[in-house]
Amino acid sequence: MSKNVLMRLDHITRTYIMGEVRVEALKETSLDIYAGELLVILGPSGSGKSTLLNIVGGMDLPSEGSVHYAGDELSRAGDARLTRYRRNEVGFVFQFYNLIPDLTAVENVELAANLVETPLPASGMLKEVGLADRMGHFPSQLSGGEQQRVSIARAMVKNPRLLLCDEPTGALDHQTGKLVLSLLAGINRDRGSTVIIVTHNTDISAMAHRVVRMRSGEIAEIIENSQPVPPERIDW
Amino acid sequence: MGVLLKKLFRTIWNTRGQFLAVTAVVAVGITVYIAMTTSYYNLNHSRDEFYRDNNFADYYFHVVRAPEQITRQIESVPGVAAVNGRLQKDVPLVREGDQKATARITSYPVPMEGINRIQLLSGRLFERYPQGGGVEVLVDPQFFTANRLSFNDTISIVSEGRKVSLSVVGTGIGPEFTFAMKDAATLMPDPETFGLVMMPLNQAQQALNLPGQINQVIIKLSPGADEKEVAGRIEELLEPYGNLSSYPLKKQLSHAILQGELDGLKAVSGFMPFIFLSIAAAIQIVMLGRMIRGQRLQIGIMKAMGYNNRQIITYYTSYSLSSSLMGALLGSVAGIGLASVISEVYAEFFNLPRAIGGVNTTSVITGFALSLSVGAAAGLAASRRVTKVNPAEAMRPEPPKNAGKIFLERLPRLWELLDSTWKMSLRTALRNRGRFALMLVGVTFSVGLLVMSLFASDSIDYMINKQYFQDQRYDYLVRFASPLKENDLLDISRIEGVIKAEPVFEIPVKIHFQGKTQEDSLQGIPRDSTLKRLENQEGRPLSIPGEGLLISEKTADKLGARVGDRVEIETLLGTGPSRRASVKVVQINRQLVGGGSYVSLEQANQVIQERRLASGVMLKVDPGRFVALEEELNDMNNVSSISSRQKELDNFNKNLEAMVYSIAIMVIFAVVMGFAIVYNSSVISFAERKRELASLRVLGFTSREVSGLLLKENLFQSILGVAIGLPFGRLMSQGYINAVSTDLFTIPVVIYPLTYFWSALGGVFFIAVAHLLAVRGVKRLDLVDVLKNRD
Repeated sequence: MSKNVLMRLDHITRTYIMGEVRVEALKETSLDIYAGELLVILGPSGSGKSTLLNIVGGMDLPSEGSVHYAGDELSRAGDARLTRYRRNEVGFVFQFYNLIPDLTAVENVELAANLVETPLPASGMLKEVGLADRMGHFPSQLSGGEQQRVSIARAMVKNPRLLLCDEPTGALDHQTGKLVLSLLAGINRDRGSTVIIVTHNTDISAMAHRVVRMRSGEIAEIIENSQPVPPERIDW
Repeated sequence: MGVLLKKLFRTIWNTRGQFLAVTAVVAVGITVYIAMTTSYYNLNHSRDEFYRDNNFADYYFHVVRAPEQITRQIESVPGVAAVNGRLQKDVPLVREGDQKATARITSYPVPMEGINRIQLLSGRLFERYPQGGGVEVLVDPQFFTANRLSFNDTISIVSEGRKVSLSVVGTGIGPEFTFAMKDAATLMPDPETFGLVMMPLNQAQQALNLPGQINQVIIKLSPGADEKEVAGRIEELLEPYGNLSSYPLKKQLSHAILQGELDGLKAVSGFMPFIFLSIAAAIQIVMLGRMIRGQRLQIGIMKAMGYNNRQIITYYTSYSLSSSLMGALLGSVAGIGLASVISEVYAEFFNLPRAIGGVNTTSVITGFALSLSVGAAAGLAASRRVTKVNPAEAMRPEPPKNAGKIFLERLPRLWELLDSTWKMSLRTALRNRGRFALMLVGVTFSVGLLVMSLFASDSIDYMINKQYFQDQRYDYLVRFASPLKENDLLDISRIEGVIKAEPVFEIPVKIHFQGKTQEDSLQGIPRDSTLKRLENQEGRPLSIPGEGLLISEKTADKLGARVGDRVEIETLLGTGPSRRASVKVVQINRQLVGGGSYVSLEQANQVIQERRLASGVMLKVDPGRFVALEEELNDMNNVSSISSRQKELDNFNKNLEAMVYSIAIMVIFAVVMGFAIVYNSSVISFAERKRELASLRVLGFTSREVSGLLLKENLFQSILGVAIGLPFGRLMSQGYINAVSTDLFTIPVVIYPLTYFWSALGGVFFIAVAHLLAVRGVKRLDLVDVLKNRD
């Protein structure tokens, strides 16, 4: 696997002022994200993993330090630049799917497709996630796993270089969760997208190329995994 | 309840925008209610007291002339409680170097007693035989002010060709003159050229050269007397003296106008607050509904701790009650203020000596009760669903909202044209039926109210244009004290500047048809007249027939007479014998103001068995010669009055100033209501979908695109509301006109396209402002929040 750095986080710190308390959610953290890797960020709640994901996803900016994406500095970007970044480069999969209840599955995907100039075909995306026969269904008519698959299709239809998944299996049962994970692994393998999965579930890390272990706002260790296990074979 | 009370205050503070918006709608409703009912009460009360204190007559009888003693016979008619015989006559009033005016002479007994007594307002009462001779009179206060008179000034009237000087000793007013207008054909009172002159009977008899005579009898009925029967008996008694007309109190001109105003007030004071309070209730229900849905978890926790349904319902109901209470407080203050302004306008408009102002406690209390019951009802209706919250379930996240296809999707071609953002907006708009209905009804009513506020000026403009420029093409109408031979008119037509002069013969008449009788004015004009235009009910011009009557629409309706029927005309000239003639109805003429049935000048002469007489002349005059012409006409002895189109228009416009204010107030109210609805609806819609919208931002939508989504949703509902609101406004205007129309006048419902345009623009304005305020939050949407667990 080539080691092209897609994103570089350089000594970033993120502090929040919560009322009168200063919370250091991220302390002087540095991380390179390589193009085409499957990265799992692992850690208990409060470890700073969500903050890291927010910064990588262009939803938040570091208080200190710099973020470079494909050579551009993001850490000084304004709202418009960040929106453009999210729009063109990032696909997002949420724990609770966050589908638009008033749009059918295919329309939810189209909604995202409309944002970019050369989207992938929306119906093709839904076929890829195995929902060819559910396209006209509304979110309320879909199971949790199906909703999450629509959400993946929605994220992927923009053909983003970076797919960010925040606890994608957190609200799903075991069997469905595995299905979703194999989809993500497939996307990483077949399309070459960089996939970042944030989770507190240690077992999932077996599928990653690299695992970033977070603790108390810091990266505790980075483990390289030369032999990733396909998700179908993972158990938790 | 201490902690809950704190929570209530905090909730109110956190939702202050919406709270104030709904409070404003309640306040407007209460303002209108208190202002209208207080004005109604004050005006009504003031009138009733004035009528009672001055013994307002129940029935009026006009005769040519009758001996004073006739009142003794009338007194003995069963059912008659009191009688007064008097003289009343309109005579020319000469004003040095100024336009001629009309004085309505009315006689009174001295000492002042009996029916329709005068209330003295300033100066002193007249005496029967003043020391040093002369004639003492009272005049009405408006005339007194408009003509800049002071006590002991002399005014001159012309009677029987003689000039009579009268000394003004004070001002006063009687209950029959609350609205001092010459006749129903006049649009507005003009105190400068029409005055009420009150004097002792003996002096009136002498001035009018009617010694020992009276020409009117007014009576008061005993309680329970049969009005019709008594009137019939009296008419019989008066028959030998030339019955001109008789009418009950309700047809008395000033009373009818005052009653029309009161009826209008009553209608509006019911209708308008109803709209505002209903809308306020609807907003409260939707707002609380949203709040309760949003606080499902909290309700679940409260229940788990042991709060019961009643306590929680009370808590949420207190929210709507608070806004109602605050609305009622603000509304009462504004309502009392507005009532005093309205009362002031009435005091100026109507001659009511009793102070009209004052706070009406009943209406304030009712206002509070209304407001609070609306708040309570809305609160209870909305918080019913609290009982359905199961504490265990409430703590789990809510499943996605049910969604399904909407009716538009049955038109696949149209539907396919829409992009997914439109599909989303339309589905959201149509799915939330309650909110959609609220928004639609609210915008419809607001825009309708805008149309209704603005339409009056269109209608009046239309009326003025029609009356003064299309139908009436003359600049002056000159009336003579006694009819002239047509040849004598040459003197007038030769005056420099007169472009065209056409004679006119006006005869007061009664028209009889199949046992029914209606008073009317018969107007004889030349067959080739170009200065007066008449039209039929379809608006097509009518020409004056050689023979036959162009009956007025009002008279035709009252009599049930149709084209081709023969009606009997009875003249009521007051001098000479009454004549009767049978005439065929050739056409029906429709006029907006006044009325009158038209015949040719020749036929008018035939009816009174005369030849070539005219009672007045219509003049078209070179505008540069107006002043000189007026001077010359004023010097002519036989001229009794000169109506100038320009002066009537000026007077009319002066009277319209009050209207501008009421329009402005109505417009503000309508905009407040529209704003409150759109704002609340948008805020709720925004709050409910924060997470959804934030996730769109994460997907890469810009703030502008997200606001755009909300705008699409709003636009769809608002444009529909505006589209329905415009014709709805026309309906409301029609309803309002029906409520205030009287026998005397009907205002046509005319709405110019520009008014629709302005109303729609007003609608777009409040929608846009409310929308922009409501979606301010899009920029501050917390993107990170989306990733967190659900509440």
